[in-house]
Amino acid sequence: MPVDALRFASPFSRPSAAGSPAKIQSSRGMAIDPQARASETELIREAQQGSRAAFDSLVRQYDQAVLRLALHLTGSEQDAEDIHQEAFLKAYRYLGNFRFECSFYTWIYRIVTNLCLDLLRRRKSRKEDQAVMIDASGEEMDLLNNVSDERASANPDRELSRKVLGDRIREALDQLTPRERMVFELKHYQGLKLRTIGEMLHTTEETAKNTLFRATRKLRANLAEVR
Amino acid sequence: MTMKCETAHEYIALAVYGDLADDQSHQLEQHLTSCADCRSELEGVQALAKAMTLFPVEEPSANLVARTRLRLEEALDALPRAGFLVRISQQFSQGVGRLSSAPVAASALLVVGLAAGGYGGYRAGKHATVAIPQDADSVQIANVSSIVKNPGSEKVEVRYNRLVPESVQGSLDDPYIRALLVIGARNRTNPLVRNDSVGLMAGECRAGHQCGDGPVRDALMVSLLYDNNPDVRLKALDGLQPYVADNTRVRDAVLQSLLNDPDTKVRTQAIGMLQPVQADSSVLDVLHTVAARDDSPQIRDVSQQVLSQAQQIQ
Repeated sequence: MPVDALRFASPFSRPSAAGSPAKIQSSRGMAIDPQARASETELIREAQQGSRAAFDSLVRQYDQAVLRLALHLTGSEQDAEDIHQEAFLKAYRYLGNFRFECSFYTWIYRIVTNLCLDLLRRRKSRKEDQAVMIDASGEEMDLLNNVSDERASANPDRELSRKVLGDRIREALDQLTPRERMVFELKHYQGLKLRTIGEMLHTTEETAKNTLFRATRKLRANLAEVR
Repeated sequence: MTMKCETAHEYIALAVYGDLADDQSHQLEQHLTSCADCRSELEGVQALAKAMTLFPVEEPSANLVARTRLRLEEALDALPRAGFLVRISQQFSQGVGRLSSAPVAASALLVVGLAAGGYGGYRAGKHATVAIPQDADSVQIANVSSIVKNPGSEKVEVRYNRLVPESVQGSLDDPYIRALLVIGARNRTNPLVRNDSVGLMAGECRAGHQCGDGPVRDALMVSLLYDNNPDVRLKALDGLQPYVADNTRVRDAVLQSLLNDPDTKVRTQAIGMLQPVQADSSVLDVLHTVAARDDSPQIRDVSQQVLSQAQQIQ
């Protein structure tokens, strides 16, 4: 077992966010360049004074990332849209309360993660599954669409097994508590630092770390057969 | 120095995300050379990471992004135009020529209502048909709100609002008196009235007389930020002193004043008021800005001093 396997960057692939790959790494906000951060501050101040154009500019900087997060977490375009809407409307209403005590990025994400947590909790309590059924062949059948023959790709077996495995992962993730799911999503899929995650969830880095460990232990237990 | 497996497991979980410090990484490597259990733990964690790639993060489609943005635009367009403070500041910046506009008439009617013993007079007054007064010369007309001529008739109906001077006496605790002071603080033409109104309200707030989250304190914040007379702004600042430590809205208003007020005395007093709340990072943020960019050298010095004190405490 090669010990220098530790030297690898990270084994999972993360699609680079359109137009801003460096964004995700910084825990203090997207702009590492101090001038860019200064101009974001200006933009925020303008928006706080009532400039709608400035607010729209701010939205443009963050809304794709927000959608990406909400989409992956909820698995539903409709839910992602709703979360996006609620998050930015809240941001608009409460922009006056933003006092630069954290980065704007953290502030927005805090709003978004709270909305996501609410949704996850509602789902858990209703145990409402999406309109998906597994039919006899193990292939996912969306109740809203018919499965047509055109969907058989050149390599049907591999497609099918990828799909089934993907569903297994999703099921395993659904077994986590909303908080565990959230922390795992933010760390593993969005690449945020534990300290940032702590800030976003109004908790400490230590607590975020422990939540992450719990999540990974549960996932490994659930996915023992998946290799 | 041997590492416990428990710690090694933690390190392994973090290493996969590239979150391990170099020295921790080194310690872990050492441990792994002699611990088979932890090596298999590393394999397990790596396998999980690999499995997770089967559920990748997808980029939202252009379609989704577009319709989400559109929906947000529509929702924002449907909201009332601007927040409370911005609306009030717009009232301030409207010219003197608009004396006949609604706020003045409304305030005149508020006075009428008060004299009649209740706020109920306020809304009713605006649309009531008023009997033709006996002495037309003594009536001051605030504005004419509508004229209707019935076809085929000589008669015309004119609706108008009257400006009726009134006076009322009462104590500073009285909510009606307070409402009047709030309006007095916005008197566009007479700074003496504003000065007196703000002075009285500030006195109430300094004494802690029912000045919590309410119209009087809000009025002081508005005067602090938007009155064009520095003496009025100073008085307003004075009245807000007891609330800076505990209330973030008040603190924000004082910070804004420190950043934007054209008068040196006001900015100096603002810094003085912020000294007890250095722990707030937004205060420190503003002090940094002021220490670097204020026009007045004294203010830059004072900010710098406050900052160094703050750093010593921390």
